[in-house]
Amino acid sequence: MKARGMYAWANPWFRWSLASIIVIAMCSMLIGFVWLPSVQPDFTAQGLWASICRAAGVPASWAPDLDTTRSHPQSTDVVLERTMARAAAPDAVGRGATLALNCTMCHGARGLSISDAPNLAGQYPEVVIKQLHDYKVHKRASSVMEALAQGLSERDISDLASYYAYLPKARTAATTYAEALPALVRVGAPMRNIAPCISCHGGVDQKLGTPWIEGMPLDYLEAQLKAFRSGSRHNDSEAQMRNMARAMTAQEIDAVSAFYARKAPTGESR
Amino acid sequence: MLLARKLVLAHFWVAFVAFLGAILLGEWQMFVRSPLATWVNNPEHYYRSVTAHGTVMAYVLPTLVAMGFGYAITELALERPLIGLRWAWAGFWLVILGTILAAVTMAVGKASVLYTFYPPMIASPLYYIGVVLVVVGSWIWVALMSINLRAWKKDHPGVSIPLAMFGNVAGAYLWAWTSVGAATEVLVLILPASLGLTDTINAGLARVLFSWTLHAIVYFWLMPTYIAFYTLVPRAIGGRLYSDTMGRVAFVLFLVFSMPIGIHHLFADPQIGAGFKFVHAAMTAMVSVPTLLTVFTIVASAEIAGRLRGGKGPFGWVKALPWDNPMMLAVTFSFVMLGFGGAGGLVNMSYQLNETIHNTQWVTGHFHLIFAGAIVIMYFMVAYELWPQLTHCGPLPQRLMKTQLWLWFVGMMVLSMPWHLVGLLGMPRRMAYYDYTHPDLQSQAWTVIASTIGGLLLVVSAAVFVYILATAHRGARLVPKTFTFSRPAHAGAATPVALNGFGLWVAMMIGLTIVNYGFPIAQLALLPEAWVPVIPIGGRG
Repeated sequence: MKARGMYAWANPWFRWSLASIIVIAMCSMLIGFVWLPSVQPDFTAQGLWASICRAAGVPASWAPDLDTTRSHPQSTDVVLERTMARAAAPDAVGRGATLALNCTMCHGARGLSISDAPNLAGQYPEVVIKQLHDYKVHKRASSVMEALAQGLSERDISDLASYYAYLPKARTAATTYAEALPALVRVGAPMRNIAPCISCHGGVDQKLGTPWIEGMPLDYLEAQLKAFRSGSRHNDSEAQMRNMARAMTAQEIDAVSAFYARKAPTGESR
Repeated sequence: MLLARKLVLAHFWVAFVAFLGAILLGEWQMFVRSPLATWVNNPEHYYRSVTAHGTVMAYVLPTLVAMGFGYAITELALERPLIGLRWAWAGFWLVILGTILAAVTMAVGKASVLYTFYPPMIASPLYYIGVVLVVVGSWIWVALMSINLRAWKKDHPGVSIPLAMFGNVAGAYLWAWTSVGAATEVLVLILPASLGLTDTINAGLARVLFSWTLHAIVYFWLMPTYIAFYTLVPRAIGGRLYSDTMGRVAFVLFLVFSMPIGIHHLFADPQIGAGFKFVHAAMTAMVSVPTLLTVFTIVASAEIAGRLRGGKGPFGWVKALPWDNPMMLAVTFSFVMLGFGGAGGLVNMSYQLNETIHNTQWVTGHFHLIFAGAIVIMYFMVAYELWPQLTHCGPLPQRLMKTQLWLWFVGMMVLSMPWHLVGLLGMPRRMAYYDYTHPDLQSQAWTVIASTIGGLLLVVSAAVFVYILATAHRGARLVPKTFTFSRPAHAGAATPVALNGFGLWVAMMIGLTIVNYGFPIAQLALLPEAWVPVIPIGGRG
């Protein structure tokens, strides 16, 4: 037997294999790109070529009925990027420290206070950046913070974030797993679509843009969860916190807030 | 004549020890998910375990078995020493290094991305580098198989390649081209993101590239099993192989049709056009052809065995089969599981029916039945067949082997049938826990307990398997009998030239892949909307 002749048309194996594969490919393409789309009105509305393009995954426009001139409500303008979370240079921390003198009245000299304003010491930089941006463009409401954020430039915001990220987190440590953790914190409530707190807020994982909430003031935590639940706070980009809070009962909001506030600094110790 | 005994043994032992570890993880997962245990305290541990179980079972075990079996076939079927023994050891150590690297990264929780590692979830770069090393190690094997065959052909012009070696090299070429998809995904998209060079990743493109590997890899796992069907089973049960040509046709059909079908894993993905989904579904139907041919041929070969043993009439030969032979038992179990798994697979591949079971526990049931059932049970037989050659041990304990096979078969059915059922009822796969106190879930709780019991049987079976292999190392050394492969019913029949080489089929494999994947890949690569922010897993806190 000679090895020659394998690719010759005279070799029936070659002839039949090649012909069958071409026929199979052509038939399935014709069915998939022409015949099946022909019975779908949304495919055929703009003619055969448009229908083939759609079947190939390339519609002429992805959403032809959408009125692009109309603006849609948007929860936030900030797109979180990993660069926001990187450690800053010492000079940025220094500039941030100077700017932060404006913030001490509520947030404390070192980012911790008992004024029910959130602690900022050790907060992740991208969190501070996002919230200040949202205040500045009125995506998050606070009569005090919206006014204060107006005067801040991009660089001011990033310097402030660097400064607060640089401050030590005081006496609060991350939640570690234990059977004793409240169920909602540990495993959430799967049948109600409530994710466990620790899958984003530290513990199982710490997601980008999710704040450090250990030791936050009780009133602040409760107020925020309630605001998410009612929709009066709506600057969570994917509505993730609104969806969590909406499914929670008032008792659960109290319990989760009390859990995370348990390590809040007390007046005497400051 | 098996000279590379140490090499083959090293591959098999690492594979089976890893297998034993991973099966314990699998059973732990089943247990903590069942109502028998309280909820797993930290779901991350569950996903870490899924990642490790899947990475070992899907990548490490079959790759090492295919490599070890491939080296053994090269020497036994070509009847000459392996060329490139030193390179083979280099490949082995690369696989080991990669496995250790990936295992450590997974163990410290920096790679809980599940073994399919779909972006935008991104693990530590060490995990991907580990997986790449495993693949690169296996590429050395691919090259060695090709070189050994070429050298043999040069010395034996015009002689047909032994069927075992033909299947073995088909498997090697299949793997070489299969792994290109995921290798491209890891090197071009994932590693830059994982190393922090980019903050976004083309998730749509990554999924398409992975699908290129994801389905065809199944046929790479399957090759050693099919080689065993054709070249070991008929001899072991005292029959003849019904058709040598049919074996070759099945192997080349796998080569041609296993790649351009992977998009059936992405039926729910919006970034792929409906036309391509249909084309891939149609081609997936084609890949059932070599399996049906194989089932026909092996059943026909068994009939020859039955009739040679005096079986008469349309079904009398079935009774006359050597049912006390472990190989007979294994191939029967394998076909039963292949039948159920294959029928389930037809549901998965059809564009419409897939909607009902997509991402449910059904899918887990399907691939456990096909891979862990039909395929792995033949890996056991390959090891049992080769062990006397490898260790020069005496005959293995037949009763214990049969007990092990029974446990594996019953365990796999009890594990995976409830999964199919709850999948139809809508239970999602890859969940760390279920709240069985909920009235909607309460009625499904028993199925999870059943699967846990099935898993326990599998653990026992795996332990018995490793025990049989380990104890064979003790005791008197015997000179093994000459190893033989099945003889065809019509020995000496001429092999068509097209089935004595791979050129045409490799060309068709590459051509069809380009036709079916070229456009979706190019389109997604150029689509700016497909780039999404990376989500690092285990990044901080």
